[in-house]
Amino acid sequence: MDFTVFMQQMVNGFSLGSMYALIAIGYTMVYGVLRLINFAHGDIMMVGAFLGYFGIAVLELPFGAAVVLAILGSAALGMLTDKIAYRPLRSAPKISLLITAIGISFFLENVFNVFFGGVPRAFPVPAYMEKIIDIGGLTFPVSALMVPIVTLVLLLAILWVLFRTKYGMAIRALAFDVNTVNLMGIDANKIIMIVFGIGSSLAAIGGIFWAVNYPSVEPMMGVLIGLKAFAAAVVGGIGSVAGAVVGGFIIGFTEVVVIAFMPELGGYKDAFAFVFLILVLLFKPTGILGYDFDKSRF
Amino acid sequence: MKRLALLATSVAVMASVGMAKEIKVGAVMPMSGPLAAYGQVTYEGIQLANKIQPTLKNGDTIKVVLVDNKGDKVETATATTRLITSDKVVAILGALTSTNTAQTIAVAEKKKIPVIASVATNDKLTAKRKFANRVCFMDSFQGEVIANYALKDLGLKTAVVIVDQAQVYSLGLAKAFQKAFKNGGGKIVKKIKITSGDKDFKAVVSQIKSLNPDFMFLPLYHPEASMIARQAKQIGLNKPMFSGDGVANKTFIDLGGDAVEGYMFTDFFDYSAPPTEKSKEFIATYEKETGKKELPSFTALGADTYFVLVNAMNQCEDPTDSICINEKIKATKGFEGVSGVINIDKSGNATRSAVIKVITGGKAVYKATVNP
Repeated sequence: MDFTVFMQQMVNGFSLGSMYALIAIGYTMVYGVLRLINFAHGDIMMVGAFLGYFGIAVLELPFGAAVVLAILGSAALGMLTDKIAYRPLRSAPKISLLITAIGISFFLENVFNVFFGGVPRAFPVPAYMEKIIDIGGLTFPVSALMVPIVTLVLLLAILWVLFRTKYGMAIRALAFDVNTVNLMGIDANKIIMIVFGIGSSLAAIGGIFWAVNYPSVEPMMGVLIGLKAFAAAVVGGIGSVAGAVVGGFIIGFTEVVVIAFMPELGGYKDAFAFVFLILVLLFKPTGILGYDFDKSRF
Repeated sequence: MKRLALLATSVAVMASVGMAKEIKVGAVMPMSGPLAAYGQVTYEGIQLANKIQPTLKNGDTIKVVLVDNKGDKVETATATTRLITSDKVVAILGALTSTNTAQTIAVAEKKKIPVIASVATNDKLTAKRKFANRVCFMDSFQGEVIANYALKDLGLKTAVVIVDQAQVYSLGLAKAFQKAFKNGGGKIVKKIKITSGDKDFKAVVSQIKSLNPDFMFLPLYHPEASMIARQAKQIGLNKPMFSGDGVANKTFIDLGGDAVEGYMFTDFFDYSAPPTEKSKEFIATYEKETGKKELPSFTALGADTYFVLVNAMNQCEDPTDSICINEKIKATKGFEGVSGVINIDKSGNATRSAVIKVITGGKAVYKATVNP
């Protein structure tokens, strides 16, 4: 393997990893405040991709407007699931919440399946995003470069919100103890809603990037991606936003490296990603950047 | 006594003439899920065939009971069991992909219900099975057609094969192609394994670019094949690509966009070169019903499973006798189907021609017919 091929594979891993990272952030934030693995998160990503598709293909909006529509729609959907499905179960055992999340996931998948059918639709990618950049034999589309940049910008924005704003402080406080936060005069439900809103917006952006890079949208697209993003969140340390990004890159690179160095085993790349997850958990049960669950978060 | 017997017989005859029964036939198809593009067009063919020929010659009507298997193995087995035990079907059409059809056959074999597969091409599907039949060609034939065409007509000598290890169809077709390609003097540079459901193939195409083969053989289904074509184009990998019947549908072209220009694949049938009188009639009816002229090959094969079945049922004294139906299906000789002339042998396999198509200007264009 020569240098160009190696660098090409690194670019591939970087772009794939950032997409996992965007989705993993949503998992980790919701887990941080509610201790809930929101299995519907992958499907919210799917809804985001579908909204983007409808924005461009049906409403004929420009790409940017379609992204805004997808973000708003997904954020609203995320907050709605919280209000309808999770809020009534705040004081219920955690396992009930988890099962509800799985239920929401199936519900979204099947609703989209019924209304839009299972045939994958071609996502209309704007031409400028498909333009190929060639740097000394290293070729990639503009979109592959955009994803990591946007991911890093969003990561910084979220860290800023978490550590530099009052809302961020409230979110971090919630991670310690919901009841105490309520006693302090903060509307915990409102803050949780904001967390769902942020997480779902990121999922929508992740979904649209996914659709731009792999231009086919179908109702089941969120299942495997969601699972891998969840694995990324756990590897990075669930509850930690920066950890989710690190985890996303690790899972992305693992997949690419397996194919690059062991093409014969390429079909098992998912297995490698999950074996990696098990190894990390064996040696560091809280994940790479994870905190001790009883102490702090984010 | 004699009189009584005569009376009884005549009553029985009258009853059977006077009361035309409704006979149920099962269809297991992926109407949703990743393979829905196959199921929907195939079922369209069955429905249309049922509309054209709704009754047997003795007056019994045929009702097709459809169950969606969502493209899933387990769902397929459940759907088949349901059709046999609760709907009491006399025969089953479909399940489409080889992996799922294998499930249907396994269940139906035990209950002695014949299955006619429309497009399940895996070689081993009918081996050691008494009730498995198909109207399509097998992968060993398809692999050979592609290998010979690449070697002789296009002069391509080295190939990279991308195989989907989760699909028996892909594994079987890859194997058949490799054998024929090597025998013909070609060289397989590398075999890369993927799993259906993958979307990211950038690492795969980057790898292939560095190997620089004459062409790529992708015995895959359309969701993966289209993504590979797109990502290959993105990194500037412009080698010819060849697939089997797994990409023979419109969705593949929709998903692949301009990245699948020049993409070649084998298919069963092409509407622009109707092989039989029945094809012409069926294309005319299809156009009248749907307003579309381009009859997809999967629709044609779906219709053929139905017509072959009705033909077999008509030859049985009791059209609900599944064992007789099965025997008659296996005795199909020179049957004029929509997709061509079909011969089915004792083991349930069909002998028929293949066509090669090239995607040009966003359309699959007929290139050549290869006879067995």
